[in-house]
Amino acid sequence: MSDAAISRAVHPWWASRRLGFLAAALVIAALPMMLTGNYWQTNLTICAINVLLALGLDFILGYAGQLNLGQSAFYGLGAYVSTLLITRLGVPFWAAFAAGVAFAGLAGMILATFAVRLRGHYLAIASLGFAVITYQILLNWINLTQGPLGIYAIPPPPAITIPGLPAISFRNPVALFYLVAGVTLLVYFILDQLVRSPIGETLTAIREDEVSAASLGINTALWKVFAFGVGAAVGGAAGCFYATFVGTLVPDAFFITESFTILAMVIVGGMGTLIGPVFGAVLLTLLPEVLRGVGDLRLMVYGAVLTLVVLFMPGGLVQAARVVGARLGLSR
Amino acid sequence: MTLLSAKGLHKSFGGVRAVRDISCDIPEGTVFAIIGPNGAGKSTMLNLISGVYQPESGSLTFAGQTLAGLPAYRRVRLGIARTFQKIRLFKQLSVLDNVVAGFHVHHDIPAWHYLLHGGAFRRDQARCRADAMELLAFVGLAARREALAGSLSYGEQRMLEFARALATKPKLLLIDEPAAGLNAAEVDSLLDRILTTRKQGVTVVVVEHNMELVMNVADRILVMDYGQHLFEGAPAEVQKNPAVASAYLGGELM
Repeated sequence: MSDAAISRAVHPWWASRRLGFLAAALVIAALPMMLTGNYWQTNLTICAINVLLALGLDFILGYAGQLNLGQSAFYGLGAYVSTLLITRLGVPFWAAFAAGVAFAGLAGMILATFAVRLRGHYLAIASLGFAVITYQILLNWINLTQGPLGIYAIPPPPAITIPGLPAISFRNPVALFYLVAGVTLLVYFILDQLVRSPIGETLTAIREDEVSAASLGINTALWKVFAFGVGAAVGGAAGCFYATFVGTLVPDAFFITESFTILAMVIVGGMGTLIGPVFGAVLLTLLPEVLRGVGDLRLMVYGAVLTLVVLFMPGGLVQAARVVGARLGLSR
Repeated sequence: MTLLSAKGLHKSFGGVRAVRDISCDIPEGTVFAIIGPNGAGKSTMLNLISGVYQPESGSLTFAGQTLAGLPAYRRVRLGIARTFQKIRLFKQLSVLDNVVAGFHVHHDIPAWHYLLHGGAFRRDQARCRADAMELLAFVGLAARREALAGSLSYGEQRMLEFARALATKPKLLLIDEPAAGLNAAEVDSLLDRILTTRKQGVTVVVVEHNMELVMNVADRILVMDYGQHLFEGAPAEVQKNPAVASAYLGGELM
């Protein structure tokens, strides 16, 4: 094999990957201009937050193969830790953001440290238990979280002032969307770099066969803790943005059903790819909105879509796109 | 020089004493075979050496260093690699990526490169892929590099597992029943590769039912029966030993 062939094998899609990020940035820039009005701009930001949540879970589930049903807890911890630091202690937004992300990531690592010997159903139950406990704490530690009464008037991130330009205020929903979507794009880039490095091979090796992975010198416990740490931290970031975007916090936003919604986004999009969960999250965020016209039937349609995907398209939207691409003769 | 030394190994599962008081010295640069009837404790021996199990008593010394308490993944760093009796590949990964995963302990780049993919990172990636291709060429799978491991034939999967174990750059390679399920031609090509591997300085421990393969490839043979040490010696001595013949070989090789 020639050197040139080898280097192509290392970065087969490098050129188009750059173009992909550029296209994504352009789409993000254009969306609020095409979809104007409060309703759509709210939905766009919720989409970006859900994409973050799905990316975080996909890193744990799709790559490391760990069935984590506790993503709603990391989401909630990020939201409450950052918000409480801001409203109670007056910590600056970005410091509180960093703390929320770090706290969620640490919680993920601690959960994984204890759950690392479990897999499949048992890990799912342990992580679901963690989500239930976290929800109950948020609900019942009233002195700290105000429980079901909620926390109100959470301020938006501070305005960014660049000398010589008008200040960018995040009271403007479009600016806030750009901020959340920009961070989401950055997170996507970071995760993409990680999964295309030997870390990606290490995590997928653990997903495919743990005994085999250990026989190649992989410390499976350590890498599972790592995957949980990264995925939970990304979920925490989504929580921080959710709190500042909505402006109020109640524990119900982080009930365990949220874990299943995020799981559905990852599965519908396509586990073990990064682009899949992006589209899965957007689809499952917008689908209920589009279906509002049919009232409560929308839950049935939502459920039917999920069932059909799991039955006929276990690789999700990514698999569907590949099949269509192959039919059209576009694939390699 | 002795590469691996076992002293008085014991391991039981419930009431079954799978390995009872086994001692052996495996000289560096040899092919050392462990044979015996089904349930003799051969695979348990491999699992004790590779660290899947810890012995109840007895000791293992590898290149002068004790293996007591070391988990499997740490032993790989010392230079102990293995294949499995029941093939365990990463079925959803490509043939090439299976081997590349075997380089896990040999990436010498600073951690931040995993984020920014600098020059050192790209050189490391290119080197791993080139080395992996070399190993695939060695086992005759270079043309299948893009295929999913799960789509390979049984014989190809065995070869791929062998290549993946070699990717860890072992000093000691443990091979568990390599010929199981292979046809005669595949057994021959496997035998060739085991001998080449030994010539390259890798010590090989092979657990095997296929007598022809063992007699042709092994420098020394340990015969086990019901978890116990029955006989140890060169292939010719094993063939002549009446206890071995009655326990295992029957009239087959007479």
